[in-house]
Amino acid sequence: MSVRDILSAENELTNMLGAQQAVVLSTRVRLARNLAGLPFPGWAKPAQREEVADRCLKALEALPRFRRGHVLRMSGLSDLDRAVLVERHLVSKELANGKSGAAVISRDQTCSVMVNEEDHLRIQVVKAGWHLRSAWHLAEQLDDALAPRLGFAFSERLGYLTACPTNVGTGLRASAMLHLPALCLSGHMDKVTRGLGQDGLAVRGWLGEGTEAAGNVFQISNQQTLGRSEEEIMKHLSGWIKTVVEQERNARRRLAAEEGEKFTDRAARALGVLRHARLLSSAESMNMLSHLRLACDMGCLPEERRSAVDRLMIEGQPAHIQALTGAELDSDARDVRRAAAIREALKDFPEVGPPSA
Amino acid sequence: MGDTRQCAICGQPATVHVSHIADGKMVQMHYCEACSQEKGATDPAVFKLVDVLAAQAAQPVLVCPSCGFSDVDFRKRGRLGCPACWEVFGEALGGLLAKVQHEPVHHGRAPAGLQPDEATLRARIESARRELAAAVKAEDFESAARLRDEIARLESSVKTS
Repeated sequence: MSVRDILSAENELTNMLGAQQAVVLSTRVRLARNLAGLPFPGWAKPAQREEVADRCLKALEALPRFRRGHVLRMSGLSDLDRAVLVERHLVSKELANGKSGAAVISRDQTCSVMVNEEDHLRIQVVKAGWHLRSAWHLAEQLDDALAPRLGFAFSERLGYLTACPTNVGTGLRASAMLHLPALCLSGHMDKVTRGLGQDGLAVRGWLGEGTEAAGNVFQISNQQTLGRSEEEIMKHLSGWIKTVVEQERNARRRLAAEEGEKFTDRAARALGVLRHARLLSSAESMNMLSHLRLACDMGCLPEERRSAVDRLMIEGQPAHIQALTGAELDSDARDVRRAAAIREALKDFPEVGPPSA
Repeated sequence: MGDTRQCAICGQPATVHVSHIADGKMVQMHYCEACSQEKGATDPAVFKLVDVLAAQAAQPVLVCPSCGFSDVDFRKRGRLGCPACWEVFGEALGGLLAKVQHEPVHHGRAPAGLQPDEATLRARIESARRELAAAVKAEDFESAARLRDEIARLESSVKTS
Protein backbone atom coordinates (compact mmCIF):
# COMPACT_ATOMS: atom_id res chain seq x y z
CA MET A 1 0.00 0.00 0.00
CA SER A 2 1.35 3.44 -0.85
CA VAL A 3 0.34 7.07 -0.87
CA ARG A 4 -0.62 6.61 -4.57
CA ASP A 5 -3.30 4.13 -3.43
CA ILE A 6 -4.56 6.61 -0.86
CA LEU A 7 -4.99 9.22 -3.60
CA SER A 8 -6.85 7.00 -6.01
CA ALA A 9 -9.04 5.10 -3.52
CA GLU A 10 -12.69 5.81 -2.85
CA ASN A 11 -12.73 7.58 0.48
CA GLU A 12 -14.71 9.57 3.00
CA LEU A 13 -13.76 13.09 1.93
CA THR A 14 -13.58 13.04 -1.85
CA ASN A 15 -16.44 10.61 -2.53
CA MET A 16 -19.23 11.89 -0.34
CA LEU A 17 -22.04 12.45 -2.82
CA GLY A 18 -25.36 12.87 -1.12
CA ALA A 19 -23.96 13.93 2.23
CA GLN A 20 -25.67 16.95 3.74
CA GLN A 21 -22.78 19.34 4.11
CA ALA A 22 -23.76 22.77 2.82
CA VAL A 23 -21.83 24.52 5.60
CA VAL A 24 -19.96 21.85 7.58
CA LEU A 25 -17.44 20.11 5.30
CA SER A 26 -16.22 17.59 7.84
CA THR A 27 -16.14 16.62 11.51
CA ARG A 28 -13.01 15.43 13.27
CA VAL A 29 -12.28 13.84 16.63
CA ARG A 30 -8.76 13.39 17.97
CA LEU A 31 -7.59 11.59 21.12
CA ALA A 32 -4.05 11.99 22.51
CA ARG A 33 -2.75 8.87 24.29
CA ASN A 34 0.63 7.74 25.67
CA LEU A 35 2.10 4.47 26.81
CA ALA A 36 2.78 4.31 30.54
CA GLY A 37 6.44 4.19 31.59
CA LEU A 38 7.97 5.50 28.36
CA PRO A 39 9.19 9.04 27.61
CA PHE A 40 7.09 11.19 25.26
CA PRO A 41 8.43 11.17 21.65
CA GLY A 42 10.04 14.64 21.91
CA TRP A 43 12.20 13.52 24.86
CA ALA A 44 12.66 9.82 24.07
CA LYS A 45 15.88 8.28 22.77
CA PRO A 46 15.75 6.79 19.25
CA ALA A 47 15.62 3.24 20.63
CA GLN A 48 12.68 4.14 22.88
CA ARG A 49 10.82 5.74 19.97
CA GLU A 50 11.46 2.59 17.98
CA GLU A 51 10.03 0.48 20.81
CA VAL A 52 6.91 2.68 20.95
CA ALA A 53 6.48 2.47 17.18
CA ASP A 54 6.83 -1.33 17.18
CA ARG A 55 4.36 -1.85 20.02
CA CYS A 56 1.82 0.62 18.67
CA LEU A 57 1.97 -0.55 15.05
CA LYS A 58 1.59 -4.16 16.15
CA ALA A 59 -1.48 -3.31 18.24
CA LEU A 60 -2.98 -1.18 15.47
CA GLU A 61 -2.43 -3.72 12.70
CA ALA A 62 -4.31 -6.30 14.80
CA LEU A 63 -7.48 -4.18 14.83
CA PRO A 64 -10.21 -5.14 12.33
CA ARG A 65 -10.75 -1.41 11.57
CA PHE A 66 -7.30 -1.24 9.92
CA ARG A 67 -7.53 -4.47 7.96
CA ARG A 68 -6.36 -3.84 4.40
CA GLY A 69 -5.42 -0.33 5.45
CA HIS A 70 -2.15 1.55 5.13
CA VAL A 71 0.85 1.40 7.44
CA LEU A 72 3.26 4.19 6.61
CA ARG A 73 6.62 4.97 8.21
CA MET A 74 7.52 8.60 7.52
CA SER A 75 11.21 7.70 7.00
CA GLY A 76 10.21 5.49 4.07
CA LEU A 77 8.23 8.16 2.20
CA SER A 78 9.30 10.85 -0.26
CA ASP A 79 8.84 14.55 0.60
CA LEU A 80 5.97 14.71 -1.87
CA ASP A 81 4.13 11.72 -0.43
CA ARG A 82 4.38 13.17 3.07
CA ALA A 83 3.08 16.52 1.82
CA VAL A 84 0.06 14.78 0.23
CA LEU A 85 -0.77 13.14 3.57
CA VAL A 86 -0.58 16.54 5.30
CA GLU A 87 -2.86 18.15 2.71
CA ARG A 88 -5.38 15.36 3.29
CA HIS A 89 -5.19 15.96 7.06
CA LEU A 90 -4.22 12.30 7.49
CA VAL A 91 -1.03 13.28 9.29
CA SER A 92 0.17 16.54 10.84
CA LYS A 93 3.08 18.64 9.60
CA GLU A 94 4.91 17.77 12.81
CA LEU A 95 4.66 14.04 12.13
CA ALA A 96 5.61 14.45 8.46
CA ASN A 97 8.72 16.47 9.33
CA GLY A 98 9.96 14.04 11.97
CA LYS A 99 11.98 10.96 11.12
CA SER A 100 10.56 8.43 13.59
CA GLY A 101 6.86 8.98 12.99
CA ALA A 102 4.44 6.49 11.49
CA ALA A 103 0.76 6.47 10.57
CA VAL A 104 -1.84 3.76 10.23
CA ILE A 105 -4.79 4.69 8.04
CA SER A 106 -7.99 2.71 7.57
CA ARG A 107 -8.94 1.69 4.05
CA ASP A 108 -11.79 4.21 3.83
CA GLN A 109 -9.52 6.91 5.35
CA THR A 110 -12.00 7.72 8.16
CA CYS A 111 -9.63 6.51 10.88
CA SER A 112 -5.96 7.38 11.08
CA VAL A 113 -3.58 6.98 13.98
CA MET A 114 -0.33 8.90 14.20
CA VAL A 115 2.48 7.23 16.13
CA ASN A 116 5.34 9.25 17.68
CA GLU A 117 3.94 12.67 16.98
CA GLU A 118 3.93 14.96 20.04
CA ASP A 119 2.32 12.06 21.93
CA HIS A 120 2.85 8.35 21.38
CA LEU A 121 -0.59 8.04 19.79
CA ARG A 122 -2.96 10.47 18.16
CA ILE A 123 -6.17 8.64 17.29
CA GLN A 124 -8.15 10.54 14.65
CA VAL A 125 -11.54 9.98 13.10
CA VAL A 126 -12.91 12.15 10.30
CA LYS A 127 -16.42 12.13 8.84
CA ALA A 128 -17.76 14.10 5.89
CA GLY A 129 -20.43 16.58 6.98
CA TRP A 130 -21.46 17.19 10.60
CA HIS A 131 -21.36 13.83 12.42
CA LEU A 132 -19.75 14.42 15.78
CA ARG A 133 -21.58 11.58 17.52
CA SER A 134 -20.57 8.86 15.07
CA ALA A 135 -17.00 10.18 14.79
CA TRP A 136 -16.76 10.08 18.59
CA HIS A 137 -18.09 6.52 18.80
CA LEU A 138 -15.46 5.31 16.34
CA ALA A 139 -12.68 7.04 18.28
CA GLU A 140 -14.05 5.62 21.54
CA GLN A 141 -14.03 2.09 20.06
CA LEU A 142 -10.42 2.43 18.91
CA ASP A 143 -9.45 3.82 22.32
CA ASP A 144 -11.14 0.92 24.14
CA ALA A 145 -9.56 -1.65 21.84
CA LEU A 146 -6.05 -0.21 22.26
CA ALA A 147 -6.10 0.55 26.01
CA PRO A 148 -5.76 -3.05 27.28
CA ARG A 149 -3.16 -3.89 24.62
CA LEU A 150 -0.92 -0.87 25.23
CA GLY A 151 -1.51 0.33 28.81
CA PHE A 152 -2.09 4.07 28.61
CA ALA A 153 -0.57 6.62 31.00
CA PHE A 154 -3.47 7.80 33.15
CA SER A 155 -3.90 9.53 36.48
CA GLU A 156 -7.11 9.63 38.51
CA ARG A 157 -6.72 13.34 39.07
CA LEU A 158 -5.39 14.52 35.69
CA GLY A 159 -6.81 11.93 33.32
CA TYR A 160 -4.79 10.89 30.27
CA LEU A 161 -1.24 12.22 30.62
CA THR A 162 0.13 14.03 27.57
CA ALA A 163 3.37 15.77 26.60
CA CYS A 164 1.71 19.21 26.49
CA PRO A 165 -0.40 20.65 29.33
CA THR A 166 -2.96 21.83 26.75
CA ASN A 167 -3.96 18.24 25.92
CA VAL A 168 -4.01 16.57 29.34
CA GLY A 169 -7.25 15.15 30.77
CA THR A 170 -9.52 13.83 28.05
CA GLY A 171 -6.89 14.31 25.34
CA LEU A 172 -9.88 15.15 23.17
CA ARG A 173 -9.85 17.69 20.39
CA ALA A 174 -13.16 17.78 18.54
CA SER A 175 -13.47 20.01 15.51
CA ALA A 176 -15.54 20.92 12.51
CA MET A 177 -14.38 22.29 9.16
CA LEU A 178 -16.80 24.99 8.06
CA HIS A 179 -17.27 26.85 4.78
CA LEU A 180 -18.29 30.39 5.76
CA PRO A 181 -18.24 32.56 2.62
CA ALA A 182 -21.23 34.74 3.52
CA LEU A 183 -19.92 35.61 7.00
CA CYS A 184 -16.62 36.55 5.33
CA LEU A 185 -18.23 38.54 2.49
CA SER A 186 -20.41 40.47 4.92
CA GLY A 187 -17.44 41.25 7.19
CA HIS A 188 -18.73 39.41 10.26
CA MET A 189 -16.09 36.71 10.50
CA ASP A 190 -13.79 38.63 12.88
CA LYS A 191 -16.67 39.05 15.31
CA VAL A 192 -17.47 35.33 15.15
CA THR A 193 -13.81 34.41 15.71
CA ARG A 194 -13.58 36.71 18.74
CA GLY A 195 -16.81 35.39 20.23
CA LEU A 196 -15.73 31.78 19.87
CA GLY A 197 -12.29 32.58 21.28
CA GLN A 198 -13.80 34.11 24.40
CA ASP A 199 -15.75 30.95 25.06
CA GLY A 200 -12.81 28.57 24.79
CA LEU A 201 -12.97 27.60 21.12
CA ALA A 202 -10.16 28.02 18.60
CA VAL A 203 -10.72 29.14 15.01
CA ARG A 204 -8.03 28.18 12.49
CA GLY A 205 -7.50 28.07 8.76
CA TRP A 206 -7.85 25.16 6.36
CA LEU A 207 -4.64 23.37 7.30
CA GLY A 208 -4.80 23.89 11.05
CA GLU A 209 -2.57 25.88 13.36
CA GLY A 210 -1.01 28.99 11.86
CA THR A 211 -2.58 28.72 8.42
CA GLU A 212 -4.76 31.18 6.55
CA ALA A 213 -8.39 30.51 5.89
CA ALA A 214 -8.02 29.87 2.17
CA GLY A 215 -11.36 29.49 0.42
CA ASN A 216 -13.28 30.79 3.45
CA VAL A 217 -12.82 27.43 5.15
CA PHE A 218 -12.32 27.49 8.92
CA GLN A 219 -11.65 24.85 11.51
CA ILE A 220 -13.37 25.33 14.87
CA SER A 221 -12.26 23.22 17.85
CA ASN A 222 -12.29 23.04 21.64
CA GLN A 223 -9.19 24.42 23.36
CA GLN A 224 -9.69 22.93 26.81
CA THR A 225 -9.28 19.24 27.45
CA LEU A 226 -9.25 19.06 31.26
CA GLY A 227 -12.10 19.70 33.71
CA ARG A 228 -14.92 18.92 31.32
CA SER A 229 -16.04 15.43 30.35
CA GLU A 230 -15.97 14.31 26.72
CA GLU A 231 -19.76 14.71 26.61
CA GLU A 232 -19.58 18.27 27.92
CA ILE A 233 -16.80 19.23 25.51
CA MET A 234 -18.77 17.91 22.55
CA LYS A 235 -22.01 19.51 23.70
CA HIS A 236 -20.28 22.86 24.08
CA LEU A 237 -18.76 22.58 20.58
CA SER A 238 -22.05 21.37 19.04
CA GLY A 239 -23.95 24.31 20.49
CA TRP A 240 -21.56 26.77 18.91
CA ILE A 241 -21.35 24.97 15.57
CA LYS A 242 -25.14 25.09 15.32
CA THR A 243 -25.06 28.82 16.05
CA VAL A 244 -22.33 29.54 13.49
CA VAL A 245 -24.11 27.44 10.83
CA GLU A 246 -27.32 29.36 11.48
CA GLN A 247 -25.52 32.70 11.26
CA GLU A 248 -23.88 31.65 8.00
CA ARG A 249 -27.26 30.61 6.57
CA ASN A 250 -28.83 33.91 7.62
CA ALA A 251 -25.92 35.84 6.11
CA ARG A 252 -26.35 33.89 2.85
CA ARG A 253 -30.06 34.66 2.65
CA ARG A 254 -29.44 38.34 3.42
CA LEU A 255 -26.65 38.55 0.84
CA ALA A 256 -28.74 36.89 -1.87
CA ALA A 257 -31.72 39.15 -1.16
CA GLU A 258 -29.77 42.40 -0.86
CA GLU A 259 -27.21 41.92 -3.60
CA GLY A 260 -29.55 40.55 -6.28
CA GLU A 261 -27.72 40.47 -9.62
CA LYS A 262 -24.35 41.09 -7.91
CA PHE A 263 -24.67 37.80 -6.03
CA THR A 264 -25.23 35.84 -9.25
CA ASP A 265 -22.52 37.84 -11.02
CA ARG A 266 -19.90 36.86 -8.43
CA ALA A 267 -20.61 33.15 -8.92
CA ALA A 268 -20.75 33.50 -12.72
CA ARG A 269 -17.41 35.31 -12.78
CA ALA A 270 -15.86 32.61 -10.58
CA LEU A 271 -17.05 29.92 -12.99
CA GLY A 272 -15.78 32.00 -15.91
CA VAL A 273 -12.29 32.35 -14.43
CA LEU A 274 -12.07 28.69 -13.41
CA ARG A 275 -13.30 27.46 -16.80
CA HIS A 276 -10.98 29.61 -18.88
CA ALA A 277 -7.87 30.51 -16.89
CA ARG A 278 -4.56 29.02 -18.09
CA LEU A 279 -2.74 29.77 -14.82
CA LEU A 280 -4.32 29.33 -11.40
CA SER A 281 -2.53 29.77 -8.09
CA SER A 282 -3.62 27.77 -5.08
CA ALA A 283 -5.01 30.85 -3.34
CA GLU A 284 -6.97 32.12 -6.36
CA SER A 285 -8.47 28.74 -7.15
CA MET A 286 -9.52 28.22 -3.52
CA ASN A 287 -11.31 31.57 -3.48
CA MET A 288 -13.03 31.00 -6.82
CA LEU A 289 -14.03 27.46 -5.79
CA SER A 290 -15.45 28.91 -2.58
CA HIS A 291 -17.77 31.18 -4.66
CA LEU A 292 -18.72 28.20 -6.78
CA ARG A 293 -19.51 26.10 -3.72
CA LEU A 294 -21.74 28.87 -2.38
CA ALA A 295 -23.48 28.96 -5.79
CA CYS A 296 -24.24 25.22 -5.48
CA ASP A 297 -25.61 25.69 -1.96
CA MET A 298 -27.84 28.59 -3.03
CA GLY A 299 -29.32 26.99 -6.14
CA CYS A 300 -27.35 29.10 -8.66
CA LEU A 301 -25.90 25.76 -9.77
CA PRO A 302 -27.36 22.28 -9.25
CA GLU A 303 -26.60 21.08 -5.72
CA GLU A 304 -25.19 17.76 -6.92
CA ARG A 305 -22.25 19.68 -8.46
CA ARG A 306 -20.97 20.57 -5.00
CA SER A 307 -19.01 17.37 -4.50
CA ALA A 308 -16.99 18.07 -7.68
CA VAL A 309 -16.11 21.49 -6.24
CA ASP A 310 -15.11 19.94 -2.89
CA ARG A 311 -12.91 17.47 -4.68
CA LEU A 312 -11.13 20.24 -6.57
CA MET A 313 -10.51 22.11 -3.30
CA ILE A 314 -8.64 19.06 -1.99
CA GLU A 315 -6.97 17.96 -5.20
CA GLY A 316 -5.92 21.48 -6.22
CA GLN A 317 -3.46 21.72 -3.34
CA PRO A 318 0.24 21.88 -4.34
CA ALA A 319 1.33 18.37 -3.35
CA HIS A 320 -1.84 16.82 -4.77
CA ILE A 321 -1.30 18.51 -8.14
CA GLN A 322 2.22 17.08 -8.31
CA ALA A 323 1.23 13.62 -7.12
CA LEU A 324 -1.62 13.44 -9.62
CA THR A 325 0.69 14.60 -12.42
CA GLY A 326 3.28 12.08 -11.26
CA ALA A 327 6.15 14.57 -11.23
CA GLU A 328 7.69 17.25 -9.06
CA LEU A 329 6.68 20.67 -10.42
CA ASP A 330 7.74 24.20 -9.57
CA SER A 331 5.13 26.77 -8.63
CA ASP A 332 4.60 28.06 -12.23
CA ALA A 333 4.23 24.57 -13.65
CA ARG A 334 1.78 23.71 -10.86
CA ASP A 335 -0.37 26.73 -11.78
CA VAL A 336 -0.54 25.46 -15.37
CA ARG A 337 -1.49 21.93 -14.27
CA ARG A 338 -4.00 23.18 -11.72
CA ALA A 339 -5.76 25.38 -14.29
CA ALA A 340 -5.88 22.47 -16.75
CA ALA A 341 -7.30 20.05 -14.19
CA ILE A 342 -9.97 22.53 -13.11
CA ARG A 343 -10.92 23.41 -16.72
CA GLU A 344 -11.37 19.72 -17.44
CA ALA A 345 -13.45 19.09 -14.30
CA LEU A 346 -15.75 22.05 -14.92
CA LYS A 347 -16.19 21.78 -18.69
CA ASP A 348 -19.71 20.38 -18.52
CA PHE A 349 -20.89 22.62 -15.66
CA PRO A 350 -24.16 24.40 -16.54
CA GLU A 351 -24.49 28.19 -16.59
CA VAL A 352 -24.92 30.02 -13.28
CA GLY A 353 -28.48 31.17 -12.58
CA PRO A 354 -30.09 33.37 -9.90
CA PRO A 355 -30.26 31.99 -6.33
CA SER A 356 -33.30 29.88 -5.54
CA ALA A 357 -32.49 28.40 -2.12
CA MET B 1 -6.90 59.13 23.99
CA GLY B 2 -9.56 59.86 26.60
CA ASP B 3 -9.07 56.46 28.24
CA THR B 4 -9.14 57.12 31.96
CA ARG B 5 -9.28 53.55 33.29
CA GLN B 6 -6.75 52.73 35.98
CA CYS B 7 -4.58 49.71 36.56
CA ALA B 8 -6.30 47.30 38.95
CA ILE B 9 -3.04 46.77 40.80
CA CYS B 10 -1.17 50.06 41.05
CA GLY B 11 -3.69 52.71 39.98
CA GLN B 12 -1.56 54.03 37.09
CA PRO B 13 -3.39 54.71 33.80
CA ALA B 14 -4.26 51.34 32.28
CA THR B 15 -3.06 50.48 28.78
CA VAL B 16 -3.78 46.74 28.75
CA HIS B 17 -7.40 45.61 28.78
CA VAL B 18 -8.21 41.95 29.24
CA SER B 19 -11.66 40.45 28.78
CA HIS B 20 -12.40 36.92 29.77
CA ILE B 21 -15.50 34.82 30.29
CA ALA B 22 -16.03 33.25 33.69
CA ASP B 23 -19.22 31.29 34.32
CA GLY B 24 -20.90 32.88 31.32
CA LYS B 25 -20.19 36.45 32.45
CA MET B 26 -17.66 38.71 30.81
CA VAL B 27 -15.13 40.17 33.23
CA GLN B 28 -12.92 43.05 32.14
CA MET B 29 -9.63 43.75 33.86
CA HIS B 30 -7.38 46.74 33.27
CA TYR B 31 -3.66 46.90 33.91
CA CYS B 32 -0.74 49.20 33.23
CA GLU B 33 2.03 47.81 31.03
CA ALA B 34 4.35 46.93 33.95
CA CYS B 35 1.73 45.12 36.05
CA SER B 36 0.37 43.25 33.04
CA GLN B 37 3.86 41.92 32.38
CA GLU B 38 4.25 40.96 36.00
CA LYS B 39 0.88 39.21 36.13
CA GLY B 40 1.37 37.60 32.74
CA ALA B 41 -1.97 39.00 31.63
CA THR B 42 -0.96 39.30 27.99
CA ASP B 43 1.13 36.16 27.69
CA PRO B 44 -0.24 33.14 25.93
CA ALA B 45 -1.08 30.97 28.90
CA VAL B 46 1.28 28.19 27.93
CA PHE B 47 4.26 30.46 28.58
CA LYS B 48 3.09 31.34 32.07
CA LEU B 49 4.82 28.42 33.73
CA VAL B 50 7.92 29.13 31.71
CA ASP B 51 8.03 32.60 33.30
CA VAL B 52 7.35 31.29 36.78
CA LEU B 53 10.15 28.78 36.51
CA ALA B 54 12.50 31.25 34.84
CA ALA B 55 12.03 33.63 37.77
CA GLN B 56 12.91 30.90 40.21
CA ALA B 57 16.30 29.79 38.94
CA ALA B 58 18.48 29.21 35.91
CA GLN B 59 19.66 25.91 37.41
CA PRO B 60 17.28 22.93 37.40
CA VAL B 61 15.23 22.82 40.58
CA LEU B 62 12.97 19.94 39.67
CA VAL B 63 14.24 16.85 37.89
CA CYS B 64 12.13 13.84 36.97
CA PRO B 65 13.79 10.75 38.49
CA SER B 66 12.24 8.60 35.83
CA CYS B 67 13.48 10.33 32.65
CA GLY B 68 15.88 13.07 33.77
CA PHE B 69 13.70 15.89 32.42
CA SER B 70 14.05 19.17 34.34
CA ASP B 71 12.22 22.47 34.73
CA VAL B 72 14.93 24.03 32.56
CA ASP B 73 13.96 21.62 29.76
CA PHE B 74 10.31 22.57 30.17
CA ARG B 75 11.26 26.22 29.80
CA LYS B 76 12.90 25.41 26.44
CA ARG B 77 10.28 23.04 25.08
CA GLY B 78 6.94 23.76 26.72
CA ARG B 79 6.38 19.98 26.78
CA LEU B 80 7.02 17.39 29.48
CA GLY B 81 9.45 14.46 29.27
CA CYS B 82 7.40 11.44 30.31
CA PRO B 83 4.14 10.52 32.09
CA ALA B 84 5.95 10.45 35.48
CA CYS B 85 6.92 14.12 34.97
CA TRP B 86 3.32 14.98 35.83
CA GLU B 87 3.98 13.79 39.39
CA VAL B 88 7.18 15.82 39.65
CA PHE B 89 5.93 19.03 38.04
CA GLY B 90 2.27 18.66 39.05
CA GLU B 91 2.36 21.35 41.70
CA ALA B 92 4.29 23.82 39.55
CA LEU B 93 1.87 23.19 36.69
CA GLY B 94 -1.21 23.78 38.85
CA GLY B 95 -1.39 27.50 38.09
CA LEU B 96 -0.90 26.94 34.38
CA LEU B 97 -3.60 24.26 34.26
CA ALA B 98 -6.03 26.50 36.13
CA LYS B 99 -5.38 29.12 33.47
CA VAL B 100 -5.43 27.15 30.22
CA GLN B 101 -7.91 24.48 31.26
CA HIS B 102 -11.50 24.49 32.42
CA GLU B 103 -10.77 22.99 35.84
CA PRO B 104 -7.54 21.38 37.04
CA VAL B 105 -9.28 18.03 37.68
CA HIS B 106 -10.18 15.36 35.15
CA HIS B 107 -13.81 14.56 34.42
CA GLY B 108 -14.37 11.96 31.81
CA ARG B 109 -13.31 8.58 30.59
CA ALA B 110 -10.78 6.25 32.14
CA PRO B 111 -8.96 3.50 30.22
CA ALA B 112 -11.12 0.44 29.65
CA GLY B 113 -10.66 -2.06 32.48
CA LEU B 114 -9.22 0.46 34.96
CA GLN B 115 -11.07 0.65 38.29
CA PRO B 116 -11.16 4.20 39.66
CA ASP B 117 -10.82 4.60 43.46
CA GLU B 118 -13.75 5.58 45.63
CA ALA B 119 -12.84 9.27 46.00
CA THR B 120 -12.67 9.63 42.23
CA LEU B 121 -15.98 7.86 41.81
CA ARG B 122 -17.61 10.15 44.36
CA ALA B 123 -16.18 13.23 42.61
CA ARG B 124 -17.58 11.95 39.30
CA ILE B 125 -20.99 11.34 40.86
CA GLU B 126 -20.97 14.90 42.22
CA SER B 127 -20.10 16.39 38.83
CA ALA B 128 -22.69 14.21 37.06
CA ARG B 129 -25.32 15.42 39.54
CA ARG B 130 -24.43 19.01 38.75
CA GLU B 131 -24.69 18.28 35.04
CA LEU B 132 -28.02 16.54 35.61
CA ALA B 133 -29.45 19.56 37.44
CA ALA B 134 -28.29 21.82 34.59
CA ALA B 135 -29.78 19.47 31.96
CA VAL B 136 -33.15 19.35 33.74
CA LYS B 137 -33.17 23.12 34.03
CA ALA B 138 -32.42 23.45 30.31
CA GLU B 139 -35.12 20.84 29.56
CA ASP B 140 -32.51 18.73 27.81
CA PHE B 141 -34.15 15.42 28.68
CA GLU B 142 -31.98 13.29 26.43
CA SER B 143 -28.86 14.32 28.37
CA ALA B 144 -30.74 14.08 31.67
CA ALA B 145 -31.65 10.45 30.98
CA ARG B 146 -28.08 9.64 30.04
CA LEU B 147 -26.76 11.31 33.20
CA ARG B 148 -29.29 9.54 35.41
CA ASP B 149 -28.06 6.19 34.05
CA GLU B 150 -24.47 7.29 34.46
CA ILE B 151 -25.06 8.23 38.12
CA ALA B 152 -26.75 4.89 38.79
CA ARG B 153 -23.81 3.07 37.20
CA LEU B 154 -21.25 5.08 39.22
CA GLU B 155 -23.18 4.56 42.47
CA SER B 156 -23.28 0.82 41.92
CA SER B 157 -19.49 0.79 41.36
CA VAL B 158 -18.97 2.68 44.66
CA LYS B 159 -21.01 0.00 46.46
CA THR B 160 -19.13 -2.88 44.90
CA SER B 161 -15.66 -1.36 45.34
